[in-house]
Amino acid sequence: MARITRDEVAKVAALARLSLGDETAERMASELDQILEYVQTLSQVDTTDVEPTAHAIPLPTPLREDRAFPPLDPELAVANAPEREGSAFVVPKVIEGDEEG
Amino acid sequence: MSGGAHPRFEVVIGLEVHTQLRTESKLFSPAPVSYGRPPNHSVHPICLALPGVLPALNARAVELAIRTALATHCKVHTRSVFARKNYFYPDLPKGYQISQYEEPIATGGWIEVAGLDGADAPVRRVGLTRIHMEEDAGKSIHDAALIGSDVTHIDLNRAGIPLLEIVSEPDLRSPSEAAAYLRTLRQILRYIDVSDADMEKGHFRCDANVSLRRPGATALGTRTELKNLNSFRHVEMALEAEIERQAEVLERGGRVQQATMAFDPATRRTRVLRLKENADDYRYFPDPDLIPLLLSEQQVERVRASLPELAEQKCARFQREHGLSPYDAQQLTGSRPLADFFEKTAAAHGNPKAVANWMLRDLRETLAALELEIEATRITPQVLAALMTLVDSGATTARSARELLPVLVRQGGDPAALMRERGLEAVSDAGVIEAAVAAVIAENAENAERYRNGEEKVLNFLMGQVMRRTGGKASPASVRELLARKLAGKSS
Amino acid sequence: MSAVFETLSELSHKLASGEVSAVELATAALARAEATQSTLHAFAGLRPDRARAEAAQADARRRRGEPRSPFDGIPIAIKDNMVQTGEPTTCASRILEGFVSPYTATAVARLEQAGAVVIGRTNMDEFAMGSSTEHSRSGPTRNPWRLANTPGGSSGGSAAAVAAGIVPAALGSDTGGSIRQPASFCGVVGIKPTYGRVSRWGLVAFASSLDQIGVFTRSARDAAGLLELISGHDPFDSTSIPEPAPELRPALDGDVTGLVVGLPKEYFLPAGVDPGVLAAVRDAMAELERAGAKVREISLPHTRYAIATYYLIATAEASSNLARYDGVRYGRRASGARNLTEMYERTRSEGFGEEVKRRILLGTYVLSAGYYDAYYRKAQQVRTLLRGDFERAFGACDVIVTPTSPEVAFELGAKTSDPLAMYLSDIYTVSANLAGIPGVSIPCGMLRGLPVGLQLLGPALGEAVLLRVADAFERRTSHQARRPEGLP
Repeated sequence: MARITRDEVAKVAALARLSLGDETAERMASELDQILEYVQTLSQVDTTDVEPTAHAIPLPTPLREDRAFPPLDPELAVANAPEREGSAFVVPKVIEGDEEG
Repeated sequence: MSGGAHPRFEVVIGLEVHTQLRTESKLFSPAPVSYGRPPNHSVHPICLALPGVLPALNARAVELAIRTALATHCKVHTRSVFARKNYFYPDLPKGYQISQYEEPIATGGWIEVAGLDGADAPVRRVGLTRIHMEEDAGKSIHDAALIGSDVTHIDLNRAGIPLLEIVSEPDLRSPSEAAAYLRTLRQILRYIDVSDADMEKGHFRCDANVSLRRPGATALGTRTELKNLNSFRHVEMALEAEIERQAEVLERGGRVQQATMAFDPATRRTRVLRLKENADDYRYFPDPDLIPLLLSEQQVERVRASLPELAEQKCARFQREHGLSPYDAQQLTGSRPLADFFEKTAAAHGNPKAVANWMLRDLRETLAALELEIEATRITPQVLAALMTLVDSGATTARSARELLPVLVRQGGDPAALMRERGLEAVSDAGVIEAAVAAVIAENAENAERYRNGEEKVLNFLMGQVMRRTGGKASPASVRELLARKLAGKSS
Repeated sequence: MSAVFETLSELSHKLASGEVSAVELATAALARAEATQSTLHAFAGLRPDRARAEAAQADARRRRGEPRSPFDGIPIAIKDNMVQTGEPTTCASRILEGFVSPYTATAVARLEQAGAVVIGRTNMDEFAMGSSTEHSRSGPTRNPWRLANTPGGSSGGSAAAVAAGIVPAALGSDTGGSIRQPASFCGVVGIKPTYGRVSRWGLVAFASSLDQIGVFTRSARDAAGLLELISGHDPFDSTSIPEPAPELRPALDGDVTGLVVGLPKEYFLPAGVDPGVLAAVRDAMAELERAGAKVREISLPHTRYAIATYYLIATAEASSNLARYDGVRYGRRASGARNLTEMYERTRSEGFGEEVKRRILLGTYVLSAGYYDAYYRKAQQVRTLLRGDFERAFGACDVIVTPTSPEVAFELGAKTSDPLAMYLSDIYTVSANLAGIPGVSIPCGMLRGLPVGLQLLGPALGEAVLLRVADAFERRTSHQARRPEGLP
């Protein structure tokens, strides 16, 4: 039984802002399916009372002193922009309500 | 029933406030926190989410978060975790916001809000579900110049500024309760110097969740979320509009749909921005670039020890120590600068109640007229105390002193010198007062007669006339005494 | 064009004595890089003018008697996923076309401060996702020992550059074996330090809790010297260990008597490993025993879950780390999009290669509502068990020895149509990243004309013992002296 369907792949792709052609989506679905099948082995492991790893090497929390550095030259800030207007980045219009997810 | 409550439904409101923390640099980046700069003039590679950058947590932001949690009686968690909230939006440079999810820095507090059940009712506790830290997003610039165009400009100056999200329990039952809660919360944040909490400047943002249910029901109704509310007034109005809308839907037999709503102040109506059929999948997971925030008990106690006395504590103390009424105490503890000013003046003068009267009447009016907050004026507690003492001793009249107030507030100065400069010494020359009294009685024969016939209140009117005649400089006590004598002595 | 097969130490002496100049070294390195570019394709880009200028400054400093360090003037290469001010960084991806960084990675800055001369950026698998350097937008790098074979990946370009004698050392990055496996395929030394040893500031993130910068060199001593240079706490990296750079070279005294070497039985099962590899590794162990080490069998019982654990965690973190590539602030943006969503989708779909897309999809799925507990959280729990395996093992031994890879360099194209097969070749290397422990691969023999790598794993912060064993092994053998033939 397929673990991940083509529809699920499409949904996940949308979440990740990727658009896959039909052929690619089909292929990815079967590849992902194989991989997910493989990772199912983890369900065999008894992890009762095992803490998930937060960090491989436990460290004390580093805290940065609240001091402001001089900001980046605005020219440099937008130097790599595919599209810009003055010192602002330009993108296709954002529709209210477009945000999030 | 407080303002905006619904006659047939129980209104349930919960508020989410985002407040900007007063730090020099951003939450995870050393870029300066600044306002009003041109786009992208206050950024660092971290703010731009350039390839290879990493976040570094601001110590002061943590301190301010702990301070807020303590001031609102929350449990401060000695272990909290930063999590990534993943979504795509151009003002979110990393494609995720660093926030806190399953393990926030604080949970389970409350704030005491006065006046929810009526002006004389005791304060009521509004619960807080949680407080957590997160970074602000940048801005989409919707300039007038861009309206009608098919592009948006993005400015990341604001991206990464530290925010505290404060979530209330759904304990509020009307729009006016919501506004009272917000005012109290803002006062607390200002009291502890955590935030300027100025809603117009965007330091203090509020999203409101509202649902209705039949009175007596325990289950919560479907709620909608109101966003982008720019002032306390808007919060109230938006809630009123949404309550009305939901009530109409329910009374028609319909069902309220979960949605995010916007409020239009011009039409006073709410409209759907986005339906929330599917909950947004933010794929939260602990940020692997950050170590869990581990706090020691000592760290928390150090912050607790540095907390200033809070409004509610001061208010109680003012009533206890200075004998003020609950209302006066509340007014005078409205802000820390005001409260400090009061206490210093009371100490210098010696009569707290008198000081309270002066501050809540004359000084307050003067400040309102000049549109100033106490901390922005040139008047000092010593000066106010000195002014009051001049009146107490009879050197000047209360009325003259009131004239001096705006000058002292705007320019400062020595009240005694100012009084002499402007010739506002009280007139105590008996001859001058007698002449004035005689003249007033002569000109107001009818009223004088009425007084003699038992209408004691007329004396006040006559007194007023004498005071006018002497330019307000005669001692009221002397005038009253002389008038009464003359009126009694004269026969019609 | 004569290849630079000398070690860093040898070159450093020659520079100090004036036998050779930094400009000569840089010129030779650049010429060799260009000459081999069409065959090996080790480099994504070179910076000849700046390199020569920096080399000239190094020479001037030496003439004044003020060298910045023993490495002043040494030519070096960095992987194309480490940023450098004013230089392009592409991570072998279309989506970063045109990106020029305004800042420099800490590890690279420390090299610059020591006077090392970066001659260019090496080819890699796109965003470090791969084990063969075949997933690069500019085409594959080839193995200097056999051009029809891969150099391994994802740091294949850096491994090939050192193996072919273009530079004496190169920086790479290792998330699941991306330094050690190419080192093994190319017959050079490749070390991944303890997680947090070397700052990740300026390393383009693939999987944040697993990535580490490391080095390729021709000898263990060189690796020690370079690691000393680039390690040490960095306040810009919150996951960096709050310790200064370790002293490693003093530990290389060639003495391994009494050292206990652990052999994890799970790594020596015949199924899935080329018997020639196992044989070479056993020979290496015999050599260590002759040197006075004790060999003991140990167990790492959760080994068979390592790949699954790795791929769940790595792809989840990657899916989030790669969300910033959206065409808004830098890199390539798709043209002609009619709205924002279309701009995002087209930019990312056109900009990312297949393997990257596959991993983003898997990672997004693994974190999505309903699957987080079963996949991501579960994997992090199994990770804790894997770490526990190593902690226990290091209670019974000083270092662990394994093959670096179950095979020698495979042919180009052999695994590109079977992603899972590609993933399974990381079986011996991923555990070290999951546990955060350091690991080094050193050449230990040849099999059918291709190098075999021996992997040494040490406890956290145990780079000194690792390099001591590696150095002792080198002193007694001559595998590192081999050079590929037939190159331009």
